[in-house]
Order: sequence, then structure tokens, then C-alpha cells
Amino acid sequence: MRTSLHQEFYKLAHQKMTWLSPIILFVLMLITSYAMGYNESKLLTITCYDAPDWIILILVIVGSTTFSMEFQNRAILTLLYKAPNKFEVYLSKYIVLLCYNVCLHLWAMLITCLLRLTPINRPVAWSAIGQYHQPLWLNMFTTSAIDVLTTTFIISLILGLSCLINSNAIVISVSLLVVFMGQFVSAGLLNTNQLVTILRWNPFNMTNLTRQYYNYTTYYETSHLINSQLLMGTIGYTLAFVIIGYLIFRKKRF
Amino acid sequence: MLELHHVDTFIHHHRIIDHVSFSIEPGSIVGLIGPNGAGKTTIMKTILGLTKFTGQISIDQQPITENDHHALASVGALIEHPAIYPFLTGRQNLVLYAHDPHDLENLVRILQMTNYIDHPSKGYSLGMKQKLGIAIALLNHPRLVILDEPMNGLDVEATICVRQLIQHYADQGTAFLISSHILSELQKVMTQVILINQGRVIVNQPIADFNRLNHQDYHLTVEDPTVTAQLLTSHHIPFKRNDHQFVVDRHTIFTIQDLFAEHHLYLQELAPVETNFEQIIVRILDEQRRSA
Repeated sequence: MRTSLHQEFYKLAHQKMTWLSPIILFVLMLITSYAMGYNESKLLTITCYDAPDWIILILVIVGSTTFSMEFQNRAILTLLYKAPNKFEVYLSKYIVLLCYNVCLHLWAMLITCLLRLTPINRPVAWSAIGQYHQPLWLNMFTTSAIDVLTTTFIISLILGLSCLINSNAIVISVSLLVVFMGQFVSAGLLNTNQLVTILRWNPFNMTNLTRQYYNYTTYYETSHLINSQLLMGTIGYTLAFVIIGYLIFRKKRF
Repeated sequence: MLELHHVDTFIHHHRIIDHVSFSIEPGSIVGLIGPNGAGKTTIMKTILGLTKFTGQISIDQQPITENDHHALASVGALIEHPAIYPFLTGRQNLVLYAHDPHDLENLVRILQMTNYIDHPSKGYSLGMKQKLGIAIALLNHPRLVILDEPMNGLDVEATICVRQLIQHYADQGTAFLISSHILSELQKVMTQVILINQGRVIVNQPIADFNRLNHQDYHLTVEDPTVTAQLLTSHHIPFKRNDHQFVVDRHTIFTIQDLFAEHHLYLQELAPVETNFEQIIVRILDEQRRSA
């Protein structure tokens, strides 16, 4: 396992996109800060200047290349025979993406701390009360932690799709559709007002988790699930997608 | 060290490999030969646990399955195309798998990749990529190396270099399973030949036995061709004559030597008629198709 992890970290560390992404994230957060920082200082601190949306975009691109680069460079055969089993290959890729995901969130929190020092923002104390009667710093940590779970759910979906579809472009397109259109699809299903108690557990609805945490009243109307239910649903679907993705990978012909 | 027992491989319910059994000993260089679509690459992939199969495959009595590759810890392979990440340099591609930096440097030097090994591999030519793929397969002193068309894209110097490298590793005990359409190159190094067609093993022999059994005709040169011709005719031994030289069937040479000794005739030369390796393979495949 250590060898497989080393190989995956080595490949990730030598890809340009890995190092370009934090810079892109910084630029996008800076733009967000400039665009709405003065009026929405509290919200932007809690959401790390809308980092969850930017991070998910980056993870879709980086994550979708994880398997497709192996297929396109025809390295999958070498990767597979050198690993003790397929599960280790799949798990090591998943762990590396999770680590990258956590790093991006830590980076986003660091940038948030720096951006709050700039005159673009209206000064708000870290101890000011934000959501759930908690201080702003705790809201930021909790939102980021919850977003790690939401993005992990998306990573599981991307890995499953990557095993199913060899083309990088199609995986990116489908993943982006799920991420950005998922909530609308879910809202459309739930607006029919039929079988809401069942349909509210559809996987698209889980993409609302982070947004609902920092904007409960608006998003509860869309998701029809309370935060803890959304959290359980996200974790459940994450596990399901990991297992389905692995089974697809295991059955795939190389 | 490598043993295959009654291995069948199915792809989409279609039998690609049909009851294949063979073994490979340490230090041997086995040429896996067959026409396109015979199942050479599938056999190699099956040995590497990359396809679903029935039967048993083991290395040093340790079984290989589709989902247990522990027995492959000391196996190197180049299958279909070199596994190269274009965003890494050649050296970084090797570092990814190398356990010993000295071994890596040694391979880079022997394969004459020093000039470009630190350049991004996306700019490599076909031959450069092929050499890098071979280097990856030979990293960490493997006990078994599986090479699928290793000479693809290599120039003459590189081909000689790879051939010598294979021989050098084999001398140290590494076993090789090599498939190649360039039979003349394979012929120079292989110690065992496995010929397959339609997923079945047709021939599995040491190369010396293969050559002996497939050299059907011998030519003999004699001092007195007239007397020789009379002698052979009187004993109903078929021959073709070209001045002082006669061509006779392999099965008659001992009878002929006995007759010559009896009649005090002396041989100047007795040698097998050189037959092209490719021609032998084509002949065997034709015979197999006719008998099928």
C-alpha cells in the first residue's frame, strides 16, 4: 500500500494542474472578495470566499484525470500488475485525492485569513456570532469540514465515472453536470410534490449539503432534509459510490 | 519458476486461450510466436493477472489470480505499449518504480539514454519510449521479464543493445517470455520456442530440438559423385544431385553413412540444409491449419 500511495503522490506532485489549482483558487477567491466582500463579509468568511464551489471545480478536473491518464498513457497495465491487487490501486488513488481535497480546503482557509486583512473587506471580528449562534471562526472550520464531506462524495462519483468512461472530457462534463445541475434536478423532482419522503433521498440532493449548512432556511425548502439527514445521506452515497466504483474497476477489461 | 496449467482465458464469453500449459525455467529465454490474433498478448496479460482465467498460473509455487498479484513482485513487463507518463521525465518515470538508484543509473547507461533521460518524456520518439519501457521492465532485477514486441521502433544499434541486455540478464538467471514478429532477432537469443495459433500451443520445445527436428534435409558432398549416385539408387534412397553435392532426407543419413563405410567412400561434408526460421514457422502453421 505504501508503494502505491508513494507512486500516486509522486504523480500528483509532478502534474502542473496540482500546483496551478491553488493559484487559480486564490485568484477566484480574490475576485469574489473584490466583488462582494464589503457587503457580505460574514458570509464570505464562513464560506471561505465561496471556496467550496471553486474547489469542487478543481477536484472535478484533477479527479477525472486520475484514472483517464492511466488509460490514455496506457500505464494502467503496469500499474495493475505491479500492485498486489486492484483494490490497492483504487484505494490509493482515492486516498491521494482525499488528501489533495483536504489540502485545498486548508489553503482556502489560509487565504481567507489573509483576505480578511485586506481593506477590500468590511472588518468583522472572528468572534462575531455567525450561523447557529457560533463564532465566525468556528462557522468557517465547520463549513470547510462539511465541504470536505461534500467534495468527497463528488470525488467518489468522479472515480466511479472515470472507471466507467475512458474519455477524460466526458467524465469532466458529466461530473460538472452533476455538481452544478444536480440541485436543480433534485429540486425539479421534489417540486412535483409526489413521493417527496422518498425522492428527497436522491443523490443529487446531497450536493446541497454545504450550501444548506451556511444558508439553512433557503436550502431546506429545496432539499426537504435537515442537516443531519443530508450529512448521513452524503456519507451513505459516498460509501455506495466508492463500492460501485471499485466493482466497475474490478470488472473492467484492460 | 513460471508454470501454467490448463489455462483458459475468455473475453466476452469467447475463448481466446485454450487449455494452455507450459513452464519457464530460470535463465531461459522463451520466444512466444504466433500469427496476429493467436493470443500471444492475452497469454502475457493472463500471466500478469490482468484477465479473468481458469486453470492455474504460479511463480515459484505461488499462485497468481486476477486479484492477487503478490507472486508478481519480482516480475517486469512491457505489454503492448510502454507505460510512460508524458508529464514526467524519463528518469522520473523510472524513479516511480525503482527500488535501487544504482540499478536505475546502470540501465540508463547500458540502454544509452543518458542524453535525454532528464527531458520530459512527452517529446520522446517511439524508439526512445520503447527503450524506457524496456528499462522499466528490467528495473529491480526481476526474476521473470515479459516483453511484448520489445523491438518495436528500435534502430539497429538499439536492437543489438537490447538483445545483449536480455542475454546478460538471462545469464544471471532472469527468465524471459518474449513475443516478437521479428523472428530473426528472437532466434538469436531464445532458448525455447512456444508457437501458438488460435489460442492453442502447437509447439513447445527447446530451440535446439526445434531446429534439429525441423531441418528435414541434409546436403552431403562426396569425392566420387558417380559411384555415390549409383549406390543411393541401388539402395532406393531418394536424393537430389547438384554436381558433387547431394541433398537427402534427414532420416536416411545414418543408412548412407553405413553404406559409405561399407563401400569405402568418403564424405567431404554432411550438414543440414539451412532453412529459414520464418519458413519453418509458416510451414508448421500451414500444416496445423490443414489438419484442423
